[in-house]
Amino acid sequence: MSDKMEFLDLMERAETQRQARRSFIRLCGGAAAMTGGLSLLAACDDDDDPPFPPPPPPGPGPSPTPPGLTDADVLNFALQLEYLEGNYYSYAVSGQGIPAALQTGTGAQGNVVTGTGPGAARQVSFTDPVLQQYAREIAFDEIGHITFLRNALGSAAVAQPVINLSGSATITVGNTTPVGAFTAAARAAGVVGPNAIFDPFASDENFLIGSYLLTDVGVSAYRGAARLITNKTFLEASAGILATECYHDGVIRAELWRRGLTAPSIYSVIAQVSAARDALDGTPDLDQDIGNASVANLIPTDPGGLVLGRTAPQVLNIVYLNPASTQGGGFFPTGVNGTIRSSGGP
Amino acid sequence: MPESEQPPVLHEARPARGADRRDFFKLAAAGAAVGFGAAGLAGRASAQTAPAAAPSDTDILNFALNLEYLEAQFYSFAAIGTGIPPALLPGTQTQGAAVGGRKANLQDPVVIQYAREIASDELAHVTTLRRVLGSAAVAQPALDISPQIFTAAAVAAGIDLSASGGVFDPYASDDNFLLAAYIFEDVGVTAYKGAAPLLSSPDNVDGAAGILAAEGFHAGIIRAALYRRGVEVPALWTATDQISALRNRLDGDVSSAGPPQRVANDDSGVSPVQTQFGLTANFVPTDSNGIVFSRNSEQVHNIAYLTQNAATSGGFFPNGTNNPNPALRRSGAN
Repeated sequence: MSDKMEFLDLMERAETQRQARRSFIRLCGGAAAMTGGLSLLAACDDDDDPPFPPPPPPGPGPSPTPPGLTDADVLNFALQLEYLEGNYYSYAVSGQGIPAALQTGTGAQGNVVTGTGPGAARQVSFTDPVLQQYAREIAFDEIGHITFLRNALGSAAVAQPVINLSGSATITVGNTTPVGAFTAAARAAGVVGPNAIFDPFASDENFLIGSYLLTDVGVSAYRGAARLITNKTFLEASAGILATECYHDGVIRAELWRRGLTAPSIYSVIAQVSAARDALDGTPDLDQDIGNASVANLIPTDPGGLVLGRTAPQVLNIVYLNPASTQGGGFFPTGVNGTIRSSGGP
Repeated sequence: MPESEQPPVLHEARPARGADRRDFFKLAAAGAAVGFGAAGLAGRASAQTAPAAAPSDTDILNFALNLEYLEAQFYSFAAIGTGIPPALLPGTQTQGAAVGGRKANLQDPVVIQYAREIASDELAHVTTLRRVLGSAAVAQPALDISPQIFTAAAVAAGIDLSASGGVFDPYASDDNFLLAAYIFEDVGVTAYKGAAPLLSSPDNVDGAAGILAAEGFHAGIIRAALYRRGVEVPALWTATDQISALRNRLDGDVSSAGPPQRVANDDSGVSPVQTQFGLTANFVPTDSNGIVFSRNSEQVHNIAYLTQNAATSGGFFPNGTNNPNPALRRSGAN
């Protein structure tokens, strides 16, 4: 292929990714409301705007992050997500949750509900030692993030809430018997049938799918929160955690894509999970799958090459597995602790 | 940013050396405080003095644009054999050419996908930064992405080149391309992280976070690919360790709390480490809290210029980077 054709091919590829990144079209149509944390509209015009123009005022769609939040509020929200991720990876590599000393704080402290039988949170029997070594690194980092955030927050740190970390058909939380959150998510996405379970601890591949479900959300949460943090020391640290989450997510997405070459169903499963997250978090299209065997989409970016972000309420829509405004459900059956606890929606 | 907006400095300096993952147990065993823990949200101010002339957001975004020109050209040549479009090169100060790049001899379809997607993202970053900077955007400076410069970096790192006639050609193979990418990628991430607290506009913080995030994905993908390949070719692990050691040497031994934080020797290659979970990969270059570290603009220039000394050009930038603020064109004296 000539250089010129190669270049056209690259442009065509960029166009393909752009089409996958449907948010661009919808946003530039002007109808969709953007909420805080995103500057995507900057990509829609050629005006001589100041750097990264501010997002437009919030309109219909997911609620914006409420004003008046302190840095502690934002960091505590991040801590809630880290509890979820930290426990997921810790169970996967060791069969145990995070250390008890890292679970205390203000608010109602809860336990990790593992479930029993198929789908229960447990150590993954990895067949690929490299994947196991990746997973251990992620677990280590997530525990580091919890430790860091708790230290930074000091006595203001909120406790670990009740976490539904299960793929079991049903678990017990107080007087209720919800479906294991991974199974609930997989059913909603159509990855499994309405009566089947999804067990993220059953295999290398399932573990990666569960990782994709959670880690992509963590990235978008830190990305969306960056502009809300006023203290520059915490902003820098938060940028460092965001960076770490992106390394993790890049590896997870790349591993899934690589495996899809020999197990193509991975591409359709990931597309289903991505679509389900998009359906949960409101109008803007903020989610991307990993592409297919012909064209990888390992980095979920807008046309300007910026990774997509979510507001806190949009993040809660996903982890609560609920497109409506609510204060608990899904992975957090009794809600998260802290001042940011309501998902978006009407 | 205006002087009046100088943020308070709220935490104590990190341990001076080696607070990386490898030292985790040592620190934990000693009960040492790591990170910001001792200070907390209501921490005390340190004696840190404000920089004489704080760079403007425009200066910082132009600093980033120089790095994006370098990355975009390298990946564009490696992926498709041509540089980025000429329309993306003009701007203020002296425009230069990117020399020495060519299409890489990539064989592994996975690596080919990585190269093409990263090239596409870097092109977008150049486009985005130029658009937001408008007429203030600096031109692409002269860039040297030839095998000679990469060889100089590899020799400085102590990488064994005896099997390739003393030459490190980044375009010769999948492995060489990944190692060459390794030289850049982490540096871009640490540069954006170090720049984040210097930006004053929340919109710029937001945009920079989006680019930082993309660079983090790239770096994670490159490092993990080297990790996986290193299982069969351990020399790859060794080479990443050597490149990281070189970067640690170039960017100095000084630590300060910042922001931006400056660390001494947190860079580390991909070779596995031991954690409480057993043998563990090292595809993220972090401190003991699992947080990617920062570099300030001088440290970034030390690596880009391949020098420990104070300089205004060298290495990949034979005529230096372009920036209206001279402080953002120079490397530090380490």
